[in-house]
Amino acid sequence: MPETGPPPGTLPLPIVDGLRLDRPYREALWPGGMLRDAEGRGRRLPRFFYEIDSWQTALDTPLSPHFMLWEMIGVDVREAELLRTFPRYVPCAVTLMAAALEPFRAAAGTYVHIAVNGGYRSPAHRLSRLATPHCWATAVNVYRIGDDWLDTQAAIERYNRIACETMSGVRARPYGSAPGCVDDQLHLDLGFVTLVPHGAASEDGEPASEPP
Amino acid sequence: MTAGSLRMQIEKIAEEAGAEQVGIAFHDYETHQSWSCRGEDWFHAASTIKVPVLLGVYGAIHAGLLHEESRVHVRNRFFSAVDGSRFRVEASRDANSDVQRAIGRTMKVEELAHHMIATSSNLATNLLLDVIGLEVMQRLLAPLHLDGVELRRGVEDELAWQAGINNRVTANGLLQALRLIVEERAFSPACCRRMLDILHQQQFRNGIPAGLPEGARVAHKTGEISTAAHDAGIVFLPDREPYVLAVLTQWPPEAGRRHEAIAHISQRVFEHLRGAEEELA
Repeated sequence: MPETGPPPGTLPLPIVDGLRLDRPYREALWPGGMLRDAEGRGRRLPRFFYEIDSWQTALDTPLSPHFMLWEMIGVDVREAELLRTFPRYVPCAVTLMAAALEPFRAAAGTYVHIAVNGGYRSPAHRLSRLATPHCWATAVNVYRIGDDWLDTQAAIERYNRIACETMSGVRARPYGSAPGCVDDQLHLDLGFVTLVPHGAASEDGEPASEPP
Repeated sequence: MTAGSLRMQIEKIAEEAGAEQVGIAFHDYETHQSWSCRGEDWFHAASTIKVPVLLGVYGAIHAGLLHEESRVHVRNRFFSAVDGSRFRVEASRDANSDVQRAIGRTMKVEELAHHMIATSSNLATNLLLDVIGLEVMQRLLAPLHLDGVELRRGVEDELAWQAGINNRVTANGLLQALRLIVEERAFSPACCRRMLDILHQQQFRNGIPAGLPEGARVAHKTGEISTAAHDAGIVFLPDREPYVLAVLTQWPPEAGRRHEAIAHISQRVFEHLRGAEEELA
């Protein structure tokens, strides 16, 4: 159940404590749980989420002047089935990612297209075996900017450079075919950032200790 | 026309066209004839492997792993069966641009299945193999006992091709796969009817259909690479039961007249079956 109404400065959506969601959602979202990254370092998952009641709400909700909520929640069949139906939940830090993308978009001067599975992915998503900022809603995969398809070294390096110049604290995966590199899209992330908006419930309570 | 003379005619067509190897098999539900000529010979499957992949997709749907409406991320990045290195489907070699245009977005499983068969989209094929998983698909196909089908990798995996890891079929193997569909014995009758619908949407009509009279409908899949040209399908003609036909051919890389040869063979088989039907009557 939603904890509170939206205070000023947050999205006009209910803010939900993931620990108080029904068990199937807790198992899929694993709020406050610990995921390991590729080097074995523990990363604590977000606990507070915006609740999205319908696709229409996602279509109608701006995160920033040029990015809408629907762009950050596109997933395919690899996402847990429960999380492909509404209501859906997205970590509150999704607003930070959208805000961080604004100067990048301004420098690019055109539309930035976020790929399916390229915004928020839950820890139960088949592509989320290791901790990835996608599970924090603080990463995007961009496959096209305006009419430029980002599937060449030149295009990826050009836009990586723009991202690093315009987005404070961003990590842009380098071009290449080795693990951790990209060759058919841009990957930009802010790291493992969590956001607890004003109006969110108290952070008392224990997160689940077992992975989903 | 006897089976012996049919064989001679087919060998003559193949020789005159310059084919190196021909494998043919048919089963007729009207006359209950089954016949093959080099039906157990193995060929590079080319795009006819998409028939077993279609079976695997509907096996996954039947098993509840997917739905026809499930959305799949269209991404042109796949992993070689040899060493897991990345490869792409070249847009210029894929007959279908609809799937290429959807990169970054999603398409439904049923749409990908349609494009895989109707326009032989390699990208759609690899996406379906990728989302289901090759090993899962092999497990789903195992109970069907398709002895003449080897599904070992996605399409356009050049590294695998160089390493000799290829998808292979025999004429009898493809015949068996198509019989499972038309006899509604693969997974469920509903799955089989959907697969048959998709096979009916085939857009390349210069093989088996080109040798048939007007009014024939063929649910089929073609396949072609530099050294092979195949067609395998279920032929529906007015006022008779259907027959299933698989024609596999191997050629020198420079050879032409491949489709013409398949169409001629299709025509001879049709005439043979019409003769058998008249004898029965």
